[in-house]
Formats: sequence, structure tokens, C-alpha cells
Amino acid sequence: MEENGLARMGVRPSFRDYVRELWRRRAFIGVLATSKSQSRNQNSYLGQLWAVLTPLLNATVYVIIFGIILDTTRGMSNGIAFIVIGTFMFRFFDRSVVVGADSIRNNLSLVRSVHFPRAVLPIAQVLSELTTLLPALIVMIGVSWVSQFFPGQGPVPLDWSWFLIVPAVLLLWLFSTGCAFLVGRWVAITPDIKNLIPFAMRFLMYGSGVIFSINHLLGDHPAAKILEYQPVAVYLYLARGAIADEPTIPQDPVMWYLGVGWALLFLVVGFVMFWRGEERYGRD
Amino acid sequence: MTETDEIDFEIDPEDLEGGPGTERELGEPCLLVDDLHITYRVLGAKRIGTAAADDAKGRRFLRRLLAQGRDQVGSVREIPAVRGVSFTARRGESIGIVGINGSGKSTLLRAVAGLIPPTKGAVYVAGEPSLLGVNAVLMGKLSGERNIMIGGLALGLTQAEVRAKFDDIVEFSGIGDAVYLPMRTYSSGMSARLRFAISSAATPDILMIDEALATGDATFRQKSKARIDTVREQAGTVFLVSHSLATIESICSRVLWVHEGRLVMDGPAEDVCAAYKGFVRAKRRKS
Ligand SMILES: Nc1ncnc2c1ncn2[C@@H]1O[C@H](COP(=O)(O)OP(=O)(O)OP(=O)(O)O)[C@@H](O)[C@H]1O
Ligand SMILES: [Mg+2]
Repeated sequence: MEENGLARMGVRPSFRDYVRELWRRRAFIGVLATSKSQSRNQNSYLGQLWAVLTPLLNATVYVIIFGIILDTTRGMSNGIAFIVIGTFMFRFFDRSVVVGADSIRNNLSLVRSVHFPRAVLPIAQVLSELTTLLPALIVMIGVSWVSQFFPGQGPVPLDWSWFLIVPAVLLLWLFSTGCAFLVGRWVAITPDIKNLIPFAMRFLMYGSGVIFSINHLLGDHPAAKILEYQPVAVYLYLARGAIADEPTIPQDPVMWYLGVGWALLFLVVGFVMFWRGEERYGRD
Repeated sequence: MTETDEIDFEIDPEDLEGGPGTERELGEPCLLVDDLHITYRVLGAKRIGTAAADDAKGRRFLRRLLAQGRDQVGSVREIPAVRGVSFTARRGESIGIVGINGSGKSTLLRAVAGLIPPTKGAVYVAGEPSLLGVNAVLMGKLSGERNIMIGGLALGLTQAEVRAKFDDIVEFSGIGDAVYLPMRTYSSGMSARLRFAISSAATPDILMIDEALATGDATFRQKSKARIDTVREQAGTVFLVSHSLATIESICSRVLWVHEGRLVMDGPAEDVCAAYKGFVRAKRRKS
């Protein structure tokens, strides 16, 4: 067949062709991502203002419930900063996995009418979450800084280390994209898995110390080490280390190595897994 | 009143003057469909009504409930939508596909476009097919402008190319300033026009149109016919699914008649359309 210039349809392209094709569509990824985040707040009077208001309200709720009523951060220098950074970063990861899982189904009309590497979809979905995270990051840093003026909260001094939030967020973004590839493939092929995601997320949320410190809670328990070095906890550690000034969260090169390692591992494994399912997406 | 008027209530044949131009010389084969089978798998779609209730008659309420519940767990139904279709298409050909509702036309087209993997058999293509479906709204929440960009990029154009073609696309679609409104506010004809303009902007090797012309008005139909001719002149192939035989006869030189997923007839437009008309008439008389 090949000699007539006819190529077989519906077979998975080779890995190299796939990557090359994906690279060629990078503008497509960017436009898709920005369009999605813009359309999100379109049907409201305040419009894009919600990109800042939503995280601000979220921060308020978390601080009131966990910081003041439940006081889950007892013994910490600045509990508000700890909780706000934790919840914002985790929310980004959580959203990324959820939209990654739906990336094929939510774009079915596109999938069913045009041919392009489907990996475009999870990448664009997570990227669009990243663009909504940026205004939220400013809120996050602002609230953390303001928190030191509340009674009983330790200082959050302006520091050069604040710039480390940029690599921390970038690593978390890469890691989340890897996870989006994995769940995207699983859910596209076995839709039932989607129902398990909220539970997995709950598990990760409590296992990563989003609203409390694992170290304080578990102490020297053997499970503490596992929980401490699993990817989500590592990224929370890096983000907190950048902004907050907790004595229990010093800058630690090991955590940075781990952060890079987890990101690359999930990105590569996730991408290869996603590519291997390519010809099956959109089948129904 | 002629036969055609009776069947094609939505179209005036004079909108589509000119005929398909069968004299055009055909080029190389550019599409080869070899014993194509497509089976849909539908999860959790057991019948709960009559069948389950009948054989559960007399059983206790609880057992009946359990039996019904079991049917709903892990049930998979297979729907053979296309069952063994083979044909070859050449460059410059325009091929119509006719058949009653649910006969598998859209499925066949999607499979040929490589959007559904074949269950069995294979499709070989030279070039990149572009499918224009009636319900392929790109993104309803976004403006037409955004959709033009997204659609163009998805088809493989660069951003600069889309920008260069933007005026052309808007002009062709004829929707004017509505292009800056979200697509969900469009009438069905307006979105059909915009989609057609986007899909044909890249002058694809194989253009597939699934009922997308049906909602357009007379001007649009004339324009789209001209566009289809352009694609054919540039050695492209056009597939057209339509329930309007007048449209098919005026645009297509060759017609495939699909029934229950099988190819019933494949030949020159007049012959197949005549046979199909006979079939439809016989069916109507029966009911
Ligand atoms: N997404 C789907 N999942 C399961 N079955 C489907 C799906 N789409 C179509 N089918 C089934 O496949 C068969 C063929 O459907 P198809 O849409 O190809 O028909 P069609 O010829 O395009 O009909 P129409 O003229 O109404 O557009 C039908 O029996 C339909 O029930
Ligand atoms: Mg159809």
C-alpha cells in the first residue's frame, strides 16, 4: 500500500512522529488553553475578576475553618500562610487531574472532527489551569504576607527565596501534566475510573499535609517518611519553603532533586502511556 | 410536481445548477477502504423495560430488584454500525452517500476520516481528510473568531496562516459581525456556514461533509458548491452525506448507498439515486 502514497488510517504514529506532530501544534495548545480559561468566567457580570475573587474567597474559608475554628496548625509559626499555600497548590493539582481526566470527553466534538495528536488536549487543559493559577498565586502570596499582622501569627518576611515559587510551580505543573496524561488515558478507555478520582484526591490531600503538618502529627512513625517524600508533599514543601518562614521547612536540596525527579518521571511515563492509547481515543 | 420535489422538500434544484461535471478526468486512487467493520460498544445499556420484567414475573419484589440491578452492572452492548464496506475513491471524485436514518453513513465517514478506529478491516488514505459534521460545533462558549483560530490550528495551519485567511473565512461564511459573538448564540444555519468555511479553508485533500449543507440557505448552497468544485479541481476528493437527493445529484458523480451498515449499491449518481428513490417509495407505500 505504502508505495502508492497511501497510508493506513487509525494506527498509532511512531513515537518520534507523534512528538514532532505535537511540537508542530504548540500554537494550538496555547490558543486552546487561553480560550478555555477565558471562557470559564464568561457568564458572569464580574467576568475575569472572578479569577482573583474565587481564590480569595477560598483562602478565607480555609483560614476560618482550619486555621481558626479547628486550629489544625497548632505549634506552627504561621498557620495561615501554611494553610493558604497548601490549599492553593493542592487545588491546582486537584483541578489538573480532574480536567485531565475529562480532556477527551470534554472535547469530543473537536476529537470527532479533526485529526491531531490527542496529547494536545490534556496538555492544554492543565496549561489553562496554570493560567488561572497565576492570579491565584498573587492572592496566595498577598494573603501569606498580610497574615503576619494577625495576632499569634509569626512573621513572613520579604525574601529572595520568594522567587523560588516560580520553579516550584513549574515543577508542579510538569508533574500535574504527567498525571493528567495518565488519568486521561485511563478514563478515556475505562470511564469507571473517573468515579474513583475524588477518593484518590481525598487520600492524597490528607496524605500530603495540605491543612496540617504531617511531621507534627506522625512524628517518628515509619509511614511519615513515605508521606513526606511522595510527590504532592514534595511540591507543597517546595512552595512553602519559598514563601513561608517555618523553622520546620528549611530549604532542602534533597527536596528539589526529588521535585525534579518526580516531575520528569511522571511526565515521561504519562506521555508514553497516553501515546500508546492514541488510536483508541474518541471511539466511545 | 416531480418525484424530486416530493423527497427533497428543503431544497430547490435550481440553486445547484451546473451538475456534477462527470466529464472531469479522475486521478490516482487516494482512498482505499478494505472490508471495514465498525462496532460501537455501549456501556450499561441493557433493556430494563419489558424483557427483564417479563421473566421476573412472579418473583419476589426484592429478587426482581436484584435481577434488574445485575443487568445494569457491567453490561456491554455491541452495535455493528458498519459491516464490511469496501470501495476505492480517486482524486477529483465527488462521492455522495445515501441511506435511511441509522444506516451507518456518519459512522462510515468518521471511520474513513480516521476518527474512529476500525474494528476490523482497514482504511488507506493519501493526504489528510477533514470531516465537516453537522453537530461538530467547535466550542459553543467561545466566539466565532476564537473558533476560527482553534479550528484552523487544529487542521494544521499556522497562526499566521489562519490570520491571513480570517477575512476570507468570515466573508465566505457571510455571518458578518456575529463572528465576535459566542457560537452558542448562532442559528443552526449560521454555525453550519462558519464550520463549512473553517473546514474548507485549508483546502483539504479529502473533504467530508455530513449533512452540513442542509441548514444553509440558497446563497450558501451556491457558495458551498463552488467551494466543493475548487477542492475537486485541486485534485481533492469530496464525500457528501445528505438526505436531499437533489443536492447529491447536483454535486456528486458517484453515489454509495448504505443500508444497515452494508454497501448496497455503488455507481453513477443517476442510477443509484433512482434505485434509492424506488426503495424509499416502496417503503413508504408499505407503511
Ligand atoms: N456514538 C454511538 N454509540 C453507539 N452507537 C452509535 C453511535 N453512533 C451511532 N450509533 C449507531 O450506529 C448506527 C449507525 O449510525 P449513524 O449515525 O452512522 O447513522 P446515519 O446513517 O448517519 O444516520 P442519519 O441519517 O440519521 O444521520 C445506528 O444504529 C446508531 O444507533
Ligand atoms: Mg448521520
